Amino acid sequence: MSTRSLSALARRALASCVMALGCAAIAPAAHAAGNELTIAYPVDVPSWDPTAGTWPAAQSLYKAVFDSPLLINDKLEITPRLIESWKWLDDKNTRLDIVLRSGVTFQDGSKLTTEDFKYTFFDRPQTDKKLVINSTFTNKLSNIEIKSPTEAVMDFKNPTPTAPDWLAFMTAYILPKAYIEKVGTDQFLAHPIGAGPYKLVSYERGSRAVLEAYDGYWGPKPAIKRVVFNFTPDPSARVAMLESGRADVAVQIPVRDSERLKSNSKLVSKVYPYTQIFIVQLPSYVTALQNVHVRRAMQMAINKQALSRAFFANTAKPISVLALPGTPAYVDDVDVKYDPKAAEAELAKAGFSPSKPLEIPFMSANGSTPGDYDMARALVQMWSKIGIKADLQEVTLAKYMELSHSSKLSGPMLYSWDNATADPEIFAGYILNPNLPFSAWKQPELADTFKQLSALPQAQRIAGYQAIEKKATEDAWCIPLIQSVTTIAYKKTLNLNTYQTGYIMPQEYSWKQ
Amino acid sequence: MLAVLVRQVFVRALIAIPMIFALSVVVFVVLRMLPADPLAMMLPPTATPTEVESLRAALGLDRSLPVQYGIWLSHALHGDLGRSITSGETVTHLIATTLPATVELSVVALAFSLVISIPGGLLLYALNKRRGELLADSFVVLLISVPSFLWGIFLMLVLGVMWPILPFSDRFGADIAPPKTTGFALIDFLLRGDFQAWGNAFSHLMLPALALALGFAPLIIRVLRASLLEAAGEQYAMVARLRGQSDARIVLRHMFKNAVLPTLTLIGVQFGFLFGGTLLIEMIFSFPGLGNLMVQAVRNHDLPLIQGIALVFCVIILVINTCVDCLYAVVNPRLRDA
Repeated sequence: MSTRSLSALARRALASCVMALGCAAIAPAAHAAGNELTIAYPVDVPSWDPTAGTWPAAQSLYKAVFDSPLLINDKLEITPRLIESWKWLDDKNTRLDIVLRSGVTFQDGSKLTTEDFKYTFFDRPQTDKKLVINSTFTNKLSNIEIKSPTEAVMDFKNPTPTAPDWLAFMTAYILPKAYIEKVGTDQFLAHPIGAGPYKLVSYERGSRAVLEAYDGYWGPKPAIKRVVFNFTPDPSARVAMLESGRADVAVQIPVRDSERLKSNSKLVSKVYPYTQIFIVQLPSYVTALQNVHVRRAMQMAINKQALSRAFFANTAKPISVLALPGTPAYVDDVDVKYDPKAAEAELAKAGFSPSKPLEIPFMSANGSTPGDYDMARALVQMWSKIGIKADLQEVTLAKYMELSHSSKLSGPMLYSWDNATADPEIFAGYILNPNLPFSAWKQPELADTFKQLSALPQAQRIAGYQAIEKKATEDAWCIPLIQSVTTIAYKKTLNLNTYQTGYIMPQEYSWKQ
Repeated sequence: MLAVLVRQVFVRALIAIPMIFALSVVVFVVLRMLPADPLAMMLPPTATPTEVESLRAALGLDRSLPVQYGIWLSHALHGDLGRSITSGETVTHLIATTLPATVELSVVALAFSLVISIPGGLLLYALNKRRGELLADSFVVLLISVPSFLWGIFLMLVLGVMWPILPFSDRFGADIAPPKTTGFALIDFLLRGDFQAWGNAFSHLMLPALALALGFAPLIIRVLRASLLEAAGEQYAMVARLRGQSDARIVLRHMFKNAVLPTLTLIGVQFGFLFGGTLLIEMIFSFPGLGNLMVQAVRNHDLPLIQGIALVFCVIILVINTCVDCLYAVVNPRLRDA
């Protein structure tokens, strides 16, 4: 082949390559601002039926579209929302009177009444056993008595003091009875309507949900009329979206990125504690963990402050009981100090030492909560210093749930427990209740204790839980580690409130003038 | 030739039926044998063992494996792949709404890779035993060594953040009405004459498609170069040279046609991988396709959805192989009677 011809061919080929790559650099997309807000959000809504499952991350979207009967505010107090007032009609917490706000309408203009309330919490769960709302609190209902279009009484089979908490928590959203009966479940899932501040105007699974302010909303009208939740599962992509100006808010970004973004003069970056705690569950059916000295040694060998410093920019609060700091059932005077020497001595009582280590499997998910697996590795190191050789095994959350439900955990498990209510029943009461499949600590007599606590007046009930929390820490039935933190970064020109519950509430945000 | 193509498609379709059936059995059994309970991710900690069993019965998961498979198969034959455990929506609907996005992404990625690799292969051939060959070859090796997802992150940072000229999430802007006719954004926006939306959708496709293409193109470049080198030694090339035809003409008019056959084989085989590779790329670029849906389904242990998606992947690979076989017949007349 002649040099000349080859050169011509090479030039032609090179030019085509350059053209091909050049084509990729056209048409930048503009990002709208002003009356619009784009949120880079980590997860999509698994279903538009908010009563179908307990998905913590979906609650922000549900609250925007459906609103909720009650709301847990930033101080973790239950506040009125669609329910204007509520009161127990008996001392045993079995009859709850609720009064709905008058003049509330669904986004099709129809009125929200106690018929919808009864349909959502009683009639529909009775006929559709697949709805997870059945397993939260509606299964405890014997009836809902309608007294008027705005007043009803919830009758519970057993004392249910946490009913108001559940009305502010997951799965508790009032659905439009007439609309669902008219269009059917499939159409409702495709075009959901609620009584929230925003209506869903466009939704693409795995991509985005576009919300527009609902003019007929009963409460303060949202200052930002259009909100786009961009589902961006990759945390780096969420950060990139914010930095490139394609998003105004990025939620749940890595702590290290959050720290880095603090130096960006156009952004605000926050790391703040929320209603989630990291715990190490200790299955009572694992032989080695039946020894109290082993459990106590594990507990004392953990440097919680170091975990906070290493993985959460020192913002995560160490905890020693199964409750959130600042909540009624939190016990201030219990503090398990990090003491490796005492831990080693405690372990020696069980016959183990660094030269004769206890070998035990240890499980953790990887990435289900930011930093979980890294923290698990740190725990392995801490335990190894006193003579516990933990074999770290990565498990998926689904696998863990299955092992936990079937009481087949082979060793301790690092887990994060989310409870947006401040109620101790949903912390210690669930984590330690031997009758619940989730509980790893199966101490039969605790079931009766919890049952009795449910029927007590509030002050005694709280005191009862505090006593259990103290005992749980003393005997290390479960190891509370730290109150988790979450992160948010947003444009400086945005007024944004954070919630301890971790909720993202664009209905309360506004752009600075 | 049309009769040959019809026969090819018919034979392939006949072979595909038992293959799809066998695959459905494998997928069904493997998923059921996995040591993970699909209910585990659904139920709150408040659920009692009775409620767990009640939900299991409601979903039909308490029945024997053959009975479950029989029910699933009879429904599947009627086009009903069941309902997603998580969302409650029909699996066919979920797949139908996400599949066009992935097909579109794969096809555009393939187009990009061809646009890069054909000139690239010719360039590499032209540089054979010449200055610059080592450099060009090293560059191709570098391209091969970098996986698509890394290209994705790199492109996102450079063209999305550092010089924010291209969007890097979603299929199109939030202010554009979704495609409803065929589900393919590029086709639907053209059909409704909305060229701005078309441009927007195309700009959204660029980075993920380019990331996939950069992982795919180097393979084609190398195979095309090798095929061209082989073709250069063939008699017809020498005869053309003796006739005084220019080298560029010999390459483009004669050698390229022959060299493209092995390249086509590679594209056929690799397109399946490219289609599968969309999974990670869709995650990185928040692209609402089948890959993203699959990741969600696996995370939630949503068995009906995983089954449905696996089956669709299988059918697509079979369709691609059939298309490649037909293309062989078109390109190479000797294969028409085979």
